[in-house]
Amino acid sequence: MEEKVLTGRIYDIQGFSVQDGPGIRTTAFLKGCPLRCPWCHSPESQAFYPQLSWINMRCLGTEACDSRCIKACPKGAIELGDTRLDAKTMTDLQMVHVNRDICDNCGKCAEVCHPHALYICGEDYTVDQLVERLLQDRKFFKMGGGVTISGGECLCQVEFVVEVIKRLKEEGINIAIDTTGFAPWETVQKVLPYTDLFLYDLKHMDSEKHKQMVGVPNELILENAKKLAEVGAKMQIRIPVIPMFNNDEENIRKTAEFCKGLGDAVTVIQLLPYHNLGVTKYLRISDKPVAEATPPSDKQMQRLKSIMEEYGLPVTIH
Amino acid sequence: MFEFKPVTPRVQAIREKYRNTRPKVDINRYRLVTEFYMNNPQLTGILKRAKNLRNLFENMPVLINENEVIVGWQGATYRCCALYPETSFNWFMKELRAGTIPKREQDPYDIDPEDEKYLLETGDFWDKNSMSAIVDEYMPRYHRDNMIGNGVLFFGAKDNCQSPVGHFVANFWNATQKGFGAIRDEARAKMAQYEEEGLIGDTIYKYNFYRAIDIVSEGIIHWSKRYARECERLAAIEENPERKKELLEMADCLDWIMEHPCRNFHDAVQCIYLYQLSMCMDGQQHGISYGRVDQYLGHYYEQDIANGTITPEYAQEIMDLFYLKVAECNKIWSEGATKSGPGYTSGQLMTLGGVDRDGNDATNPVTYMMLQSAGRLVLHDPPQALRIHDNTPDELWEAAIETTKKAGGVPTFEYDGVIIPALMKRGIPLEDARNYCLHGCVEPGVGGYEWAQPGGTGTESYLNIANAMLLAINNGINPMKFPGAPEPKQTGPATGYLYEMNSMDEVLAAVKTQFDFFCKWQCANINAWESMSSFHNPLPMVSATMEGCMESGKDVQCGGAKYNSTGNSCIGLGNVADSLNIIDYVCFKKKLATTRELYDAIMANWEGYEELRQIINGEVPRYGNGNPEADKYVDFTASTYAKAINKATGPRGGFSAGCYPVTANVIFGWFTWATPDGRKCGDPLTDGISNVQGMDKNGPVSFLNSVLNFDQTEYGNGTLCNMKFHPTALKGADGNMKLRTIMETYFQEGGMELQLNIVSSDTLRDAQKHPENYKDLVVRVAGFSAYFVEVFKGCQDDLISRTEMSM
Repeated sequence: MEEKVLTGRIYDIQGFSVQDGPGIRTTAFLKGCPLRCPWCHSPESQAFYPQLSWINMRCLGTEACDSRCIKACPKGAIELGDTRLDAKTMTDLQMVHVNRDICDNCGKCAEVCHPHALYICGEDYTVDQLVERLLQDRKFFKMGGGVTISGGECLCQVEFVVEVIKRLKEEGINIAIDTTGFAPWETVQKVLPYTDLFLYDLKHMDSEKHKQMVGVPNELILENAKKLAEVGAKMQIRIPVIPMFNNDEENIRKTAEFCKGLGDAVTVIQLLPYHNLGVTKYLRISDKPVAEATPPSDKQMQRLKSIMEEYGLPVTIH
Repeated sequence: MFEFKPVTPRVQAIREKYRNTRPKVDINRYRLVTEFYMNNPQLTGILKRAKNLRNLFENMPVLINENEVIVGWQGATYRCCALYPETSFNWFMKELRAGTIPKREQDPYDIDPEDEKYLLETGDFWDKNSMSAIVDEYMPRYHRDNMIGNGVLFFGAKDNCQSPVGHFVANFWNATQKGFGAIRDEARAKMAQYEEEGLIGDTIYKYNFYRAIDIVSEGIIHWSKRYARECERLAAIEENPERKKELLEMADCLDWIMEHPCRNFHDAVQCIYLYQLSMCMDGQQHGISYGRVDQYLGHYYEQDIANGTITPEYAQEIMDLFYLKVAECNKIWSEGATKSGPGYTSGQLMTLGGVDRDGNDATNPVTYMMLQSAGRLVLHDPPQALRIHDNTPDELWEAAIETTKKAGGVPTFEYDGVIIPALMKRGIPLEDARNYCLHGCVEPGVGGYEWAQPGGTGTESYLNIANAMLLAINNGINPMKFPGAPEPKQTGPATGYLYEMNSMDEVLAAVKTQFDFFCKWQCANINAWESMSSFHNPLPMVSATMEGCMESGKDVQCGGAKYNSTGNSCIGLGNVADSLNIIDYVCFKKKLATTRELYDAIMANWEGYEELRQIINGEVPRYGNGNPEADKYVDFTASTYAKAINKATGPRGGFSAGCYPVTANVIFGWFTWATPDGRKCGDPLTDGISNVQGMDKNGPVSFLNSVLNFDQTEYGNGTLCNMKFHPTALKGADGNMKLRTIMETYFQEGGMELQLNIVSSDTLRDAQKHPENYKDLVVRVAGFSAYFVEVFKGCQDDLISRTEMSM
């Protein structure tokens, strides 16, 4: 019997990924996440399976392509939708609409959509393919730059991740793992030998609130952080600042105390103010608009930063 | 952290005047030149040009505006523009008669009614007396009879070479350190020697040259002294004692400089400005560049500071005032030409930084003063080019990045590690190559030592390789049909039609045949132009300082300079690279369409072939994404063109390949039929060495990986690589470091030049809608920067469509 080739499911690869760790980095985003953060700005990262996505601005109208997608769908899930005014020709273009109740993400419509208005988000890479792609950018990995493996939750595909970063480490590449921390300690341990830095999210110190908001409790996450500190790993703590959820002084102080307890392991704490740029992305994969909040003000962010700094912690606002 | 300090009130006042004064045509120069040419038909060649210039030095108005310290001008009013009918004037008369000059979309000018009357009465004299008319007569016969309408070359049947010789750099070291008194004496000594010997052999040619040098040297000294007298006159009536003192110091400076070596910083700044202006007044302002300004001025500044004779603040103020004088310079272009160089630009490029002749870092305090002036004044002119090398100080990187954030594309970044080897490939020894500067837009050359003529004849120096590729698949026939034009005929070699080709090798062979043919004729036509330009339009004012000319007794255009070359530039590199890949992928590899179908689609301008076009735009891997498969043909395209150009020679020396379309990619696009890369007829061609607009989707690292696929040291005449970054991607000091790292990596891997716009597309779109809120938004267009709101809409759209690199 033929041996199954190990693959990982990727939804994006970004060069010059300046937000995801030190220096110039290329980030591979792995698909699938056990958390469901309502503020998530990459909703396409959540599901593990490949998903049919739809970008309205790319569609040239059913007239231009003779409704190829509608004809290609074996389930009849592609329907006529709204119209869009094309600025160049000042004509109304007939868009389509994906009936999510019927669509099973088979991708037949995407195969015939040349402008990629319909496309399947999530592609399987072999270890070789991903390593080769990431190494293309290696000459730019300076100033502590390198590769970041992110998600979704990349540790959900730990076997694949380990093989990839092992190979990259052999090439001398700096590795960062961007994680929610929600994985068994044994899983975290597997990536440990090849990881230079963890980008580690802390969302709320109260487990009940944590669970209410993102669907899982926080004990495992906090435990793993402590263990990482004990074994000498380096961590950038990332705190998404979400209005009406975790931006109250009490929670910020508790978070600061926790970080203080991690000692030298923490290289920096990044406060990431909530933004609503991800809102339109939800409509690419579903009909349900997402709840929007008002981004925190600069003043508020500065206040939270100075509270954390009272604990002698290095804090930046991203 | 490099900080921009506030400017002094008088500098602020002049800057406001600059931004609020609409340029106007001034006919003083025109009148003097027209009368001189009408009255002196017996004068020809170099003596005519020398005496014409002397006439200007003696009779042009002497204008000193309020608060100026650095003075000199080519007209009677602030920010006016002189006319240069000797090069070409038909376009001007046509626009004047149509009444469009004051109301055209791009760069309008006012004209006084009585001036307009004089122009209408006399302007037709130039129809048969301009360089352009002469060049038309001397165009090679084969070209005239067989090649008109090819769409690859800009040379046509009539009105060729409307631009003057430009894009050159004189020797400012000789101007400041030697002075024109010494140069005049040298010329006179040579003349006396030849008279003594009896003008034997060919010395009569040299004798005529030295006569011209004597005339222009005397002339420029006289001109400077006229300004000195005007300063004294103004001082006599000045009530403010401080300004009175300043005017007298200016008079002392102007009395001394030009004749003698400069004594201090103020002398040197005034000297380089006035010398540059004299060349503009003689030969038009067409990208005549300053060269290494920090290297001319640095030692004077350091000496004055050490002596305590100047304060850093006053020196910086002089620098600001100098910059504002250069910014004030503008020349009227034809309405068509404004589309390739919009924004009242005269392109007087300055170079800073780099290494010295021994290879050591040459940064000095003036290097920083230049960035300070450009940044704090938010000026698009003068353009600046920063030479980067492996030991460029961190502080200079920082200052340059902060400056480019304030004024888009100022400075550009040029890499010594690629440019110096490129210059050595054209025969320049290491020590001199290290002394290079940038000419005009982005063209490297050893200013003051080399007559690089990098801009060649002006617009004609562009070669539309996208169209050459179209001819390659259409049997040598340009498919572009203009309304009312005769049926297209064969103007290039008969290389067959795409549907007759059975393999990629056949396609490539056809492309190479067309490239070779058109490069040959491009150089032939430029040589025809040079044969006339060197006789009718020599440049003794430049030759007076240019290394080699005084020794050889020859004008720069006759090969007198120490080094010689002629530049060229291709347009459409990305279109050709993508088109070839698409033919290969669609017709041969994946067989998604036959060569017949693809050919028919192109000839139909994609009408009725939308599906095929969608496949090409959506599915085929494209140049610019770091995909080795898609980047396969960029090296073939770049090297086929470069080899054909680099092997050609002219009367003075070799040709040199480049790729910097400025905004000519937009203009040439209007006249280029649909191309295999999915581009429709009329859409812009690619910018610089970039990919097809909007086709790079993987960010800056992948983009640069693609661009690095060809050998830029073969492009001795310069490459241009525009990048637009979203400001949020580069926030703070960390952002600066990341930007620097990406640039350094590009350079060390073989990149020559980078220019940046750090502005979001949203901002640019908003500026289109509300220009009143963005009066000072400076953006990099191509070889120069401009105020965004002052460039025409097509160019604005092109800027917006360049992919924005963010996180």
